[in-house]
Amino acid sequence: MPVRAIAALLLMLAGTARQDDGVAARRRIRALAEAGQLAQAEDLARRGGTPVLVPLGEVLALTGRLSAADSIFQLAAARGAPGRRSAEVSRAELAARRGNGNAARQLARSIASAYQTDGGTWPAEDKVAAGRAYVVLGREDAGSLRAALRAFDAAVAADSNLIEPRIRLGDLFLAKYNAPDAKTSYTEALHLSPGNARALLGMARVLAFQGSPEATAGVRVSLAANPSLAAGLALLAQLHLDAEQYDSAAASAGRALAADSSAMDAWAMLGATAWLRDDSTGFAHARAGAGRVDPRPADFYSAIAEAVARHRRYADAERFGREAVVLDSTSSRALGVLAINELRTGGVDQGRAHLTRAFSIDPFHVWYKNTLDLLDQMKTFRTVATKRFRIVAPAAEADLLAMYLGPLLEEAYDSLAARYEYRPPTPIRIELFRRHADFSVRTVGLTGLGALGVSFGTVLVMDAPSARTAGEFNWGSTAWHELTHTFTLGRSGHRVPRWFSEGLSVLEERRARPAWGAGPAPEFLAAFKAGRLLPVGRLNDGFVRPSYPAELGFSYYQASLLCEMIEARWHRAALLAILDRYKAGLDTRAVLAGVLSLTPEALDQQFQAWLRARFAGPLSHIAQWDGNGPATGEFETTLTAAHALAEQKRGPEARAAYERAEAMFPMYAGPDAPPLGLARLALERGDKPAAVAALARLTAIDESALDANRREAALREELGDPAGAARALERTLWIFPYDAVAHARLAELAERLADPARALRERRAIVALAPSDMLEARYQLARALIGVGDSAAARHEVLQVLEGAPGFEKAQALLLELRKTPEARLQ
Amino acid sequence: MTAPVFLLLLAASAPLTRQSAQSGTHVLLVTGLSGEPRFAAAFHAEAASIYDAAKARWVRSDSSLIYLAEDPAQDRARITARATRDEIAKAIATLAGRSAAGDVVLIVLLGHGSGQGADSRLNLPGPDASAADFATWLAPLTGRIVVLVNAASASGDFLPVLSGREHVVITATKSAMEGNETTFGEHFAKALVSESADADRDGRVTLLEAFDYARREVAKGYETRNLLATEHALLDDDGDGKGSSTPGGATGDGALARTVAFGITPVSSDPRIAALTAERRTLEAQVDALRRRKTAMDSTGYERELERLLLEIATRTAAIHAASGAKP
Repeated sequence: MPVRAIAALLLMLAGTARQDDGVAARRRIRALAEAGQLAQAEDLARRGGTPVLVPLGEVLALTGRLSAADSIFQLAAARGAPGRRSAEVSRAELAARRGNGNAARQLARSIASAYQTDGGTWPAEDKVAAGRAYVVLGREDAGSLRAALRAFDAAVAADSNLIEPRIRLGDLFLAKYNAPDAKTSYTEALHLSPGNARALLGMARVLAFQGSPEATAGVRVSLAANPSLAAGLALLAQLHLDAEQYDSAAASAGRALAADSSAMDAWAMLGATAWLRDDSTGFAHARAGAGRVDPRPADFYSAIAEAVARHRRYADAERFGREAVVLDSTSSRALGVLAINELRTGGVDQGRAHLTRAFSIDPFHVWYKNTLDLLDQMKTFRTVATKRFRIVAPAAEADLLAMYLGPLLEEAYDSLAARYEYRPPTPIRIELFRRHADFSVRTVGLTGLGALGVSFGTVLVMDAPSARTAGEFNWGSTAWHELTHTFTLGRSGHRVPRWFSEGLSVLEERRARPAWGAGPAPEFLAAFKAGRLLPVGRLNDGFVRPSYPAELGFSYYQASLLCEMIEARWHRAALLAILDRYKAGLDTRAVLAGVLSLTPEALDQQFQAWLRARFAGPLSHIAQWDGNGPATGEFETTLTAAHALAEQKRGPEARAAYERAEAMFPMYAGPDAPPLGLARLALERGDKPAAVAALARLTAIDESALDANRREAALREELGDPAGAARALERTLWIFPYDAVAHARLAELAERLADPARALRERRAIVALAPSDMLEARYQLARALIGVGDSAAARHEVLQVLEGAPGFEKAQALLLELRKTPEARLQ
Repeated sequence: MTAPVFLLLLAASAPLTRQSAQSGTHVLLVTGLSGEPRFAAAFHAEAASIYDAAKARWVRSDSSLIYLAEDPAQDRARITARATRDEIAKAIATLAGRSAAGDVVLIVLLGHGSGQGADSRLNLPGPDASAADFATWLAPLTGRIVVLVNAASASGDFLPVLSGREHVVITATKSAMEGNETTFGEHFAKALVSESADADRDGRVTLLEAFDYARREVAKGYETRNLLATEHALLDDDGDGKGSSTPGGATGDGALARTVAFGITPVSSDPRIAALTAERRTLEAQVDALRRRKTAMDSTGYERELERLLLEIATRTAAIHAASGAKP
């Protein structure tokens, strides 16, 4: 039925309002308001007299006329209109929105006090009012939030068909980062009223909170139910803004404000959009609008801080957070957003202090609690300093990890400083966590983040290699990747869009070491063939809201290839120029036009041709991808046949099939890559050199091939190639540095190769691993110290060993040997 | 010429020393129901390694070494009989008869456990053996140093039941509630026979060293696999019925375990070597005494004296090797 017809029907029915003491009229007005028919709802309410004063006030509040709404609510309360307590609590909420905390508290306390006296006898709607009053009080008194939950639950118990308390419960849970319970509440509300716009919006907010790509669609569903839902439009603005779609964000925020000029979130999104576009006039306009609602709009700044942080503008977020705290030092949201961003920019002590204050006000906030727990745990971490880095890791791992990471980061800094002609401020802090959940909490306050690492600029956070199963990732390339962000964020003033920053980071991984960085998956090429890769103009969506699970990974690789092509065709200077133009505030279209003299569409065309040429061979053996399951085509069938033949022990035929598959797609590095099969077959026929050659082809393109590298090392050693074996073992250390056997083998190889410095590093690594036989490890360390000519340190080490174990004969012999050195004789 | 029968050695550098040359060691190894072939193989491997070390270095005669297993056919050369409740009772009675006051009776239980309190059990073919059963069986061993190591799952409640004077009780878990399979036995078995656990490299592994080693390795194993530890070993040797996870402090648990040691290397019977060895032990004791004075000394003086003593020790060791024709 058309909306107009529904409205007409409702208007007709309004004539019967007096007959049922306004109950039906109130329902109809609220139904119209829920459907976004605010003008009709107001018209009906204005004709309904005292019985509908409360819904009239609600409609006025929904359209931003807060003073008028307040007057109506006051009148309703004075006249004892139906829903009087709703009117009173609405006044409290309005006062809070307008920054009048004292009035808000006073009104809310009055309701709460009455509820405590005889709330048990109140009807369900009044219990909801009591819950809302407790929510108002909960801004400063966390205990009130428990009371709010109880009141809403009591309302549900009193009337199981009531939607309002379920939506309020969902909002409350979500405000405290409890998405699962929020979802349950909204689901219950939708079960009662499937088309309820606010419940639908609640579900969309849950999706947005969870980072689901379905969030935008969810908001649109709620807006279809109520096109004037200001909160929905503000959320849509936020989602557009997160995807760096500034025009759409501003438009949605504008629509929200057209519906409700008092929508603080909408003013904040307008302000954030303006800020991110360097539009100071627009920002001033938004600030003024927010100021008309609340003269001290802390929430405006808090929301902007949250929004710009999602754009990696952490220093700006910190500034906005501080501004919010200045306006309202009792706002846990303001204190929290300030604290989180202080922690991201390296201000750990201040961040902890502000977070502690935020948590004392809001002890139900999961993010605050998780982060404070983690900070407590991090007190036991150790910091290892290098020239330009501070490596922070669990005490048990810090020495070991820093031994490798320190030199790598220093090398990366020099390399990237030369490439990007930019030197980020130092020291740069890098934190490593042995539990992925801890890394996730450090990053987003909650568990469940899929990434391996995050760069906040000069603070990097990542999984320690112990956080994942051995062979799951390369921690060296991850660190290099994150450090690259430090350079690209820094050079662009944190304005580089996600796609370009990620593209450069993956590109730099590939440049750092031969095997590092992502390579092409068959599905990537199949998706390209099917035209499913995103155009450059929308490549950011692949990171922010991928439309299918694999799209995120594809987008990383695609972005890196795009950067690679730009550098190859326009030189490195073009990459720098792009960063600089982003810093100047230009959008991608203007940046590409200025630097490459191309539109995004023209760049897409060039890129597609470049991809077709670069992957011409594999593309001819891979079929178009429908987005489901593994890629198909001649490569896949050949590889499958090779595996089957190998299984049937038909070696020569299997070998031929593997060789054909490898020739079709030589850069394929999946777990069933042809070189692995070829290496197995070679070993079966006793051809170790061929096995080594096959393994080497894989380890040259797969950064996390732990087993292949181990086997390559062992075979090379057998075949008398200690240098090659050492190189393979060295690669394993960036995949799994906790293998004492690998360290010992590498130390021995280094000794054989007359590389005493490397032997010493490996002996130190073994000691750092706290092996079962620490005495032996320290004895070997002493020997390695002699190897580098440091007899004094060796003597010190061996004395320490013998102090605890005077019977250790090998160490005794070494002590005697050391006495024969000229330095010792002088002592 | 080496003598393979040197049995119980006591740490020369330990504060409490006990002359051990006359002492004897008696060993009972029990592997219970395995449930799965992998457990059967693991339990046997652990028992076999202890068996071999005991036979080579700890016991004076084969009759002081008894190995009871779920399936004697698994290794007829080593396994004495089936690990039933009756056979265990009989074996302990045999060792009680063979041993004298001051001897060490080492009992190692490997397998799965169940039950709680005095009814905590080692699962066996046929009726299980409970902690209360062992308490009864061990009663005649008064005067001996009884070392009972229950490496089974859910073994923790054995400790309060068997705690007593001159008893060292080690359990793989802190209570009967830790019922998952354990790894303690594997590491403890390794500790008894390997140099890695010999923290002071004196050629002997004390019970305390073995316990510490196994405890650390268990913890490391869980840590490496990023798993929550489901076993926490305890040691009790002060008879208070309360185990310690980190024994070895100045008082409390660990004092007796520190004095019970197992040789991991053969000992020479050559009188020249014996004399040099004795000199070396004296010097090692001096190092220990020096170490105790460390905080009261200036660091340079301490280090100079330490190095002097260590060089003396090293010189004796070189002389021992020269005398025995062995290479260091």
